Amino acid sequence: MMQAKRVRVNPFKRPYVVLMMEVIGRSLEAASQVDERIQNEVRPLPDGLMFEMKVMPDGPALVLQKTGATGLKYLGRRPPRKPDVVMKFKHVTHAFLVFSFQEATARAFANDRILLDGEIAYAMKLVRCLNRMESLILPKIIAERALKRYPNLSLPEKMLGGARIYTQVAKNLIRG
Amino acid sequence: MSKSYYEFFCPVKVVAGSAALEHIPYELNTLSASRPLIVTDKGVRGAGLIDHVLAAFAESGMDVIDIYDDVPPDSSLKVVKDIARVYREKQCDSIIAVGGGSVIDTSKGVNILVSENGNDLSEFSGVGVLKKPLKPFFVIPTTAGTGSEVTMVAVISDPDKGVKMPFTSYFLLPNVAILDARMTLTLPPHITAMTAMDAMTHAIEAYTGMAKNPISDAYATSAIRKIAENLPRVLNKPDDADARLELAQASTMAGIAFSNSMVGLVHSLGHSLGALCHLPHGLCMNLFLPYVLEYNLPERGDVIGELLLYLAGADVYAHTPAHERGKKAVQVIRDMRDELNHRCKLPRTLSETGKITRDQLPKLAQMALDDGSIIFNPVEVDLDDALAVLNRAW
Repeated sequence: MMQAKRVRVNPFKRPYVVLMMEVIGRSLEAASQVDERIQNEVRPLPDGLMFEMKVMPDGPALVLQKTGATGLKYLGRRPPRKPDVVMKFKHVTHAFLVFSFQEATARAFANDRILLDGEIAYAMKLVRCLNRMESLILPKIIAERALKRYPNLSLPEKMLGGARIYTQVAKNLIRG
Repeated sequence: MSKSYYEFFCPVKVVAGSAALEHIPYELNTLSASRPLIVTDKGVRGAGLIDHVLAAFAESGMDVIDIYDDVPPDSSLKVVKDIARVYREKQCDSIIAVGGGSVIDTSKGVNILVSENGNDLSEFSGVGVLKKPLKPFFVIPTTAGTGSEVTMVAVISDPDKGVKMPFTSYFLLPNVAILDARMTLTLPPHITAMTAMDAMTHAIEAYTGMAKNPISDAYATSAIRKIAENLPRVLNKPDDADARLELAQASTMAGIAFSNSMVGLVHSLGHSLGALCHLPHGLCMNLFLPYVLEYNLPERGDVIGELLLYLAGADVYAHTPAHERGKKAVQVIRDMRDELNHRCKLPRTLSETGKITRDQLPKLAQMALDDGSIIFNPVEVDLDDALAVLNRAW
């Protein structure tokens, strides 16, 4: 039998996706603690709702859970139970395209790179949280690539919003 | 090189045209099935449409084993279980759905239970849960609009829990879709108009949306042309079998297009209005179509303009300057709606429905934002945008 030929793969792709999953998880947690618009999106979600973003079949992942009235808590890489809403990238390359801002999240959905499992209405709220967080923490030139439309943010709103999220991430890390 | 990507999938055999119903026994036989259960509703049976199917079986040497004709307008868990019980008791080996969206979705649910030998449908809810082919499943649409005969989704409600369960799987696609003019010949004009505008919206949103692709574009444009040409013919002469068949084909083609390219803001708003005010889906599509196209026009004018050829024909297209074609296409749709309002009293605005108050619009806008189809709209939509479209549609 012929052996499958070893091919070269980008050695940074998978670690980068792992890192970005962590960054997104922690940033969303922090953003839900300081940004009112994200809090308004989280508020109607059921208490304890668990959200997982992962690469299929068993790749890098992040897990968030609703805590309190408006908070999202980052639970790490493995869900303690079956999550309520799962956003699954079909391949690590597809996650890399999105996380390296070569493909917007909405474009990834349109290109069938992502599967959604669970209540769609909750998933849409979480996608809006992700978009809002990206619009605040990413430089405009990068956020424009990640979003379908860059929102009308004033410079102070963007600077202050981004700074508050970064500060909150740091605080959460120190607190453990 | 462009990083564009698309997927296209439609394994449904389409059996269409004169004496199409008479092909069913042969098609069942090729799938080693001979004991079909017909699933339908009282309206379809009362209109005598099942008789056409039974007549097709009468001289074929194959019998219909049973007919379940009590599917309600909203498919529910209880009905699915009830039909699955009949299927098992009568030792059926295949399902023929004869009806509209509810009958087809219910039948898909039944097929899951009887194929998986299950009792709890919720175990199979979600995306890609089903892992193997189901029992032979045929669909005979009796409206020309939903396109459910070529879609891989079903939504079944669980009234006890107050939730709607979605099911998505390639295995939910029917084996065969049968399009026979006899099955839509007696459809009343206002339902013909509503369902045709549903199909028109499927095709237009598939063509103008983010997930458009060259293959679904071909289906979408053909569907638009067929509807634009044949809806007036059917309204002028409801028993025009050729025009009826054209509409049925258009509906299926639009279904193939949108199941591969998805839909957009018209559906986000329409799903929400339907849920809030219990208005028929096709009517909701008719209401929002031009207003959403106008919203998308500044960023998608070139693509919308291409549709003028299929909506109005070569002469109008050629005589309209390129930069005006988008606006003109929307105007053609507005004219079409005026005509449908004149002939069938089909409402064109939210206020004309008489079923919604203006203070409900913010809630409607919020519901639309949570609809999955909104992500495929070519232009981003926030709460203010959705509300602005609703106010224009008022």
